[in-house]
Amino acid sequence: MIWNYFKTAWRNLVKNRSYGLINIFGLTIGLAVVLLIALWIWDELSFDRYFKNHKRIALVLQQHTKDNVTYTNWSLPMPLADALRKDYRAAFEGVSLLYSGVYNVTFAEKKLSAKGMFMEPDGPSMFSLELLSGNKNALTDPASVLLSQSLARRLFGNSNPVNQVIRITNQFNVKVAGVYKDLPKNTSLSEDAEFIAPWQFGVSNWEWIRKEKDNWNYNLFKLAVQLAPHTRMEDVTVRIRKVLAAHITQAPGEQVVTNLTLYPMSRWHLYDFDEKGRIIPGNLQYLWLFGAIGFFVLLLACINFMNLSTARSIKRAREVGIRKTIGSRRIQLIAQFFGESVLTTLISFLLAILIVQLSLASFNTLTNKNISVHWFSGWFWLAGLLICMITGLLAGSYPAFYLSSFKPVKVLKGLFKGGTGANLPRKVLVVLQFTISIFLIIGTTIIYRQIQYAKSRPVGYNREGLLSVHMTTPEIYARTPQIRNELLASGAVQEMALSQCPVTEVWVGSDGFNWKGKAPSVDGTFAVVAASVEFGKAAGWQFVEGRGFSKAFPTDSNGLVITESAAAYMGLRHPSGTVITWHGKSYTILGVVKNVMMTSPFGDDSRIVFPLLREPGNFMVLRMNPGRPLSESMKTIAGIFQKHNPFAPFEYSFVDEEYAKKFVHEERIGKLATLFSGLAIFISLLGLFGIASFMTEQRTKEIGIRKVLGAPASGLWNLLSKELMMLVLIAIVLAIPAGYYAMNSWLHRYDYRINVSWPLFLLPALASLLIALCTISFQIVRAIRANPVRSLRLE
Amino acid sequence: MLLQLRGIYKWVNTGINRTFLLKDINLDIDEGEFVSVMGPSGSGKSTLLNVIGMLDDFDEGTYHFMGEAVQQLKEKQRTALYKQYIGFVFQAYHLIDELTVYENIETPLLYKGIKASERKALVADMLDRFQIVGKKDLFPTQLSGGQQQLVGIARALIGNPKLLLADEPTGNLNSKQGEEIMELFKQLNQEGVTIIQVTHSEKNAEYGSRIIHLLDGHVERKGQ
Repeated sequence: MIWNYFKTAWRNLVKNRSYGLINIFGLTIGLAVVLLIALWIWDELSFDRYFKNHKRIALVLQQHTKDNVTYTNWSLPMPLADALRKDYRAAFEGVSLLYSGVYNVTFAEKKLSAKGMFMEPDGPSMFSLELLSGNKNALTDPASVLLSQSLARRLFGNSNPVNQVIRITNQFNVKVAGVYKDLPKNTSLSEDAEFIAPWQFGVSNWEWIRKEKDNWNYNLFKLAVQLAPHTRMEDVTVRIRKVLAAHITQAPGEQVVTNLTLYPMSRWHLYDFDEKGRIIPGNLQYLWLFGAIGFFVLLLACINFMNLSTARSIKRAREVGIRKTIGSRRIQLIAQFFGESVLTTLISFLLAILIVQLSLASFNTLTNKNISVHWFSGWFWLAGLLICMITGLLAGSYPAFYLSSFKPVKVLKGLFKGGTGANLPRKVLVVLQFTISIFLIIGTTIIYRQIQYAKSRPVGYNREGLLSVHMTTPEIYARTPQIRNELLASGAVQEMALSQCPVTEVWVGSDGFNWKGKAPSVDGTFAVVAASVEFGKAAGWQFVEGRGFSKAFPTDSNGLVITESAAAYMGLRHPSGTVITWHGKSYTILGVVKNVMMTSPFGDDSRIVFPLLREPGNFMVLRMNPGRPLSESMKTIAGIFQKHNPFAPFEYSFVDEEYAKKFVHEERIGKLATLFSGLAIFISLLGLFGIASFMTEQRTKEIGIRKVLGAPASGLWNLLSKELMMLVLIAIVLAIPAGYYAMNSWLHRYDYRINVSWPLFLLPALASLLIALCTISFQIVRAIRANPVRSLRLE
Repeated sequence: MLLQLRGIYKWVNTGINRTFLLKDINLDIDEGEFVSVMGPSGSGKSTLLNVIGMLDDFDEGTYHFMGEAVQQLKEKQRTALYKQYIGFVFQAYHLIDELTVYENIETPLLYKGIKASERKALVADMLDRFQIVGKKDLFPTQLSGGQQQLVGIARALIGNPKLLLADEPTGNLNSKQGEEIMELFKQLNQEGVTIIQVTHSEKNAEYGSRIIHLLDGHVERKGQ
């Protein structure tokens, strides 16, 4: 029986190739999109599952509640680790401080920059490091490190690195104790841990760490814990809640509640904290978003299938009538048609997997992941076939019920006309398709507009021609004056300055600011960027009033430069010369600059205070001489650095490139939105094309008669296109409010955002009308130009 | 008594008007009869055949087929009934173009749930009988009109029906092919198959044992 159905289905497919192909094509795209999104979602959901104890690992966080707002802070003081280890031994199986940074690593002539993570002894087993050689417990020796497989390969090629000695920041010799397998891309540590060093290493070698060893108020380190078996995260959270509060000093009169909380690893990647300190979906929202998009694209393809199948019903009607007369019950016909749709879907599914495999490379680049088709996983095939079956049943549902309902007498007598290609259910489906597609196009337009808007935001400094150099060895610190002189003398550089953090980031926020007229309820925190005297000139500050730091005034060491936002926040009209205090010490405001945008171009955090840099900076900023060709200047500069710091690679970046990276996330969203809306509209157009061609085929006789009676081409064109274009118009009317609502919600997550205005909707609307018009015109023009004699003769 | 129609009415309402397709039909057909139904176009011949064949329903009256009251049966039971006892032959043959001759003949057996080996045997017999064995793998579009009609008849007969309904079976055939078909019918009737045919041709009607004339949905006269 099934074989009979299969034969009929297959031969039907072959006989009506063009419609079959349109159906298969549409379904293939839909299934490919669903597969890619499903694989992506799977990758996101399995984030951090690589760690064997992922269910029991958590980060310890501190939360400060003041005036009903809770701030969540990932940074903790060092002594907390020992306190948890000693006093809560029953609750924790492992406790480890974590700290990461970028360091110079040298071996023989190879000098590299690598990301390193410092862990306490519990760390390597907590994070399931798989040792390929060596022994992970050898980290008990403070002068040893573990290398990741790729770092080992970069330093040592194919030779065995174990027991070799490498040099860190050109100061410290360490022994390679082992090599561990690279952490997969979908783990939280993959970006930060090219090598792992023992905590003791940091403590014994770096003064600034060592001196804060017992300081409960110095929050800089992450703290990871692994719960003992048979303990519950909620219970342990309650137990450790007040540990930090007991040890820290609080400013008198401050009404702040400090609590510790545990942040389970299962929530790290996809969740976030809200202003009440609760865990809320963060990246998870994107999973929902793309899941929904995938579902909609597939839905569009199914709608196509339904439309085309029912539109062509007259061709199947006769067969339905015959089968009913020779004994088929309705349910058997339904089964037969479902079989056909499932067959089409299966073919599409196989093609879809092929497409997915071929496009994975670009998809991985686009999404910054390492996804692959799980060819050998039983679950994959099971899930895939399930999607296939559901799609086949969904797509085939309406045609199956519709076609099987034909009365044999009517169809065999030829009384059944099959409709002119656009009855009500079909119209509804076309409108639905176009509404979804136009909605996606509107979304894409607005996303791109927002990105453009943020990109063109004034940054308050000149980011072209600015070079940023990361200072990573003591040699550089010591030789800064000589380096500066040589750079300026060479003519390649107009100005050079130092800062605590790169121009594109803010690393430090500080409270404790006080000024005249400050209300006690107002928060005295500002972003703090310590910079050297020449920084303003190098970066290109634009002063609104006052002046920058100057070597001519030694009192400038207690001076501050603030931004317009900071001045406005303090309510100071003409701040130059005003004295404010910071942690009790007095500072004079030297000048006010136009807002400098150092963090997110989409945000609103330009409240910055620039004190004078006292300790050695971390970054050098170089203002390049625009009069010199870039490559020449770069060679000169590189030469000077090599001369003064031969043991480290010259690590630099262009500030405008670094700035451009801030848009990566939004641009990625934009690209994905473009991709999916492109596919959606393509599928919808495919469907429209099918309906238009069928409609014109059905009305061949009518067109022929009208031509003979003298209808002009434009009249015919109007007649035939009116119905379908009306549907597209209705879709536009429906899509605009939906798009408005959705995009407004998306935009509200950004402080700096565009206004949603009507021109943004006009473009997608016109574009959709135009392409819909082109699609159906092709068929209509062909029909109109046909010879009426031919069309009438076929009757 | 194979089937019995009593006071059968069938109408359609167009606005306020009511058009009768069948008006007060009373009919008794015995097993083994060969009945011809004649009448001008629009007299309701095909409608009557469809009602008898349970492909269409009626609005008033009773229809007993082998003692069963058809009007009281549900769709499932009705399908079971005509699947088992009735075969239909159409003027336009109505073969499934996507299936071969063999598969077309086989299809009713599939709907009856007959096992594969049995099906093979029955179809082979039928092919033999109509001498179309060599054509079993051809598609309907590759056959002539007469051959297609043969296949249609073979398909109607494969389930060993008690009653064969034929709606203008020779309408699309030339005189020679038509004659062959009518001879075939005569032979089948002699073997015990009850046949009711609708026809325009007096010549064809004479093959039957009884002629019924219809006019405007009403039986005109029964004749020999």
